[in-house]
Amino acid sequence: MYIFKNAIKSITRNKLRNILIGIIVLIISISACVSLSIREAAEAAKEDTLSNLQVTGTISYDRQKAMDKMKKSSSSSSDKSKFDFEKLQGSSLSLSEYKKYTKALKSGDSYYYSGAVSLNATGKILPYGTSEDDSSSSKSSSESKNSNDNMTQPPAFGNSGQQSDDRQPFQVNRGDFSITGYSSYKAMLSMFGDDGSYKITKGKMFDETSDALECIISSELATYNNLKVGDTIKLSNPKYESETYKLKIVGIYKNSQSSSEEDNRFRMNDPANNIYMNYNASSKIISKSAKANNKTTDSDGNKTSAKLTENLAFTYTFKTVDNYNSFEKQVYKLGLSKDYKVSSSDLQQYENSLTPLKTLSQTAVWFFLIVLAVGGIILITLNIFNLRERKYEVGVLTAIGMKKAKVALQFVSEIFIVTFIALIIGTSVGAAVSVPVTNTLLQNQIQSSQSSSDNARENFGFKNDDKPDMPNGEPMGDMFTQSKAQNYVDNVNSATNLAVIIELVLVGLFLTILASLAALISIMRYEPLKILSNRS
Amino acid sequence: MSILTLDNISYHYDRSKTKVLDNLNMEFEAGKIYTIVGKSGAGKTTLLSVLSSLAKPTGGKIFLNEKDITKIDRYKFRSKYVGVIFQSFNLLTHLTALENVVLSMDISGKKFDRPKKEIALELLYKVGLSSDEAKRRVLKLSGGQQQRVAIARALSYDPDIILADEPTGNLDGETQDEIIGIFRMLANEGKCVIIVTHSPDVASSSDITYELQKTAKTA
Repeated sequence: MYIFKNAIKSITRNKLRNILIGIIVLIISISACVSLSIREAAEAAKEDTLSNLQVTGTISYDRQKAMDKMKKSSSSSSDKSKFDFEKLQGSSLSLSEYKKYTKALKSGDSYYYSGAVSLNATGKILPYGTSEDDSSSSKSSSESKNSNDNMTQPPAFGNSGQQSDDRQPFQVNRGDFSITGYSSYKAMLSMFGDDGSYKITKGKMFDETSDALECIISSELATYNNLKVGDTIKLSNPKYESETYKLKIVGIYKNSQSSSEEDNRFRMNDPANNIYMNYNASSKIISKSAKANNKTTDSDGNKTSAKLTENLAFTYTFKTVDNYNSFEKQVYKLGLSKDYKVSSSDLQQYENSLTPLKTLSQTAVWFFLIVLAVGGIILITLNIFNLRERKYEVGVLTAIGMKKAKVALQFVSEIFIVTFIALIIGTSVGAAVSVPVTNTLLQNQIQSSQSSSDNARENFGFKNDDKPDMPNGEPMGDMFTQSKAQNYVDNVNSATNLAVIIELVLVGLFLTILASLAALISIMRYEPLKILSNRS
Repeated sequence: MSILTLDNISYHYDRSKTKVLDNLNMEFEAGKIYTIVGKSGAGKTTLLSVLSSLAKPTGGKIFLNEKDITKIDRYKFRSKYVGVIFQSFNLLTHLTALENVVLSMDISGKKFDRPKKEIALELLYKVGLSSDEAKRRVLKLSGGQQQRVAIARALSYDPDIILADEPTGNLDGETQDEIIGIFRMLANEGKCVIIVTHSPDVASSSDITYELQKTAKTA
């Protein structure tokens, strides 16, 4: 007990020396607290985001891999014309193939899918947003589509898959309306999001199980064409006008999002012209069209099939990231070709959202290690000097019978007390400033990330607020806008927790041991007689 | 009866081959004052270091009440059985006179029937320091006062043997007499007081004087 009393006396009687040590430990502990808090906040944000994350995944053709393969083979071959662009697009899996891989799903996982088909307006019905003049031109364009090759447009990059019997994945017949059939209400909700922007205002939802050609249309389209629930609309195959389909309106929905805030998935169409139905029903249209097997003649006089094709989007949903990872392995065991890949935009988004925080966390850890190393060296040096100064004290204490181990214990206790007082103050200050400091640094990091992203966009000739356009004025799609729309984790609420405090205690112990080491070694080497006779 | 016996004690420093002490045989009894005199380099202070177990003899044995002191832990020996008064006092300067004495009592690990502070104050008073002086840091005390603190510290755990190295070397004549008076008082109380000194006055006031001769023998 007297050792600790003596240690406290020594601390209070040698204030300057101990304040100096205290300041160093204080700086280390504040830096350590902030750094560890940032790391902890990053971990917490990761966990939080992950626990709220609904992981979805898709199987798609691995174009990058195909491209690499072709590059390899074309470089080894002198015939450059062998570079097969059509092959490069690959082909999407069929519905039955997609369903086959659902065997790789685990308990709690599920799937949904939708098929989109494009149909033209017929008779009195006009697509929303067309004027009288447009309508006549629309007609003529429709006609030209019939006689000519179908107008082809690149699909939205967000489309996860397409199914085409003609194996023309980049060719989409663009009609006046987009008819999308969903495998279930859940599928529809999953695709729309549950933010309440879509709402049935009149009538009811289409039957989830029936294959009757029943649909819901937008309130804008209904008003525009004076349509009501119970009416039937007649739409035609854009490639073959006389191939028509009658859809019964069972409900009218309102999309609270304005046209300027288009959903990315349907960027190519005005959302008001989106017609939704059951997948069984949309599939029935495709089947009927295939059965009709109409032909159209292209500009070269060749007859080509006019049957409708659908864009199939099949999505697997996973309860956990582990389930997703397991699925990714299992599908190949179930026979999926290596030319296809499993990907998840959610996970990619999730990873991207944490990038600034992760970068900050890594920087903070490095900063912490550097401060710890430099601080440790300063502490050791300071303690070596202190001990030289206190050599006489060691000599006196051992000369009057105090064991070296007890002298060492007293010296270590002094360092321990000073270190922990500084550590407590440092932790309190660190805890108080860690959240604002983390958020400020995070904002800077995000600005830096966004600035890099903007620079990259500008390098491609886009202004920061622009959506990149295709040469014909059509929006390009999501690829370049994705970084713009990235939602980064930009705020942490609490940073210093029990784990940080435990780590700081360990840091304190480490510093004490480090600083004491010099003291312990020196004290054990000192001989009282030598010290005292040298002093004399 | 001898309290401390030196049996053929020899000593030489690690790097020197010349013996500082050569086959010394001495006996010290309780209740007496012994002075050890000799010329500079004769080994007086070395002998004191050996007696206080600060230095280990290179030859011979020392018996405390017929027990070989090598069998006793040297820290325990210094903190319980002998009280050492160093020539340069060797007090802890960041502590007060009282704290120096109490610390010594703490280190001894002995049980006391009264509070240590009370005993320490009494001791300091006995050697001539007021309670006000006892609470001053030792650096603020005069040489004579510091010497008294060193004596009080050596007495604090009630050792049987008091070893003093030139205890009057830094003191004026009047203070020197007072210090010798204290030693006499201690001897009368039954302590064995061994003083290393150059002073003929101190030597003349002792009961027995040993004179050390410089040795030229090599180890």
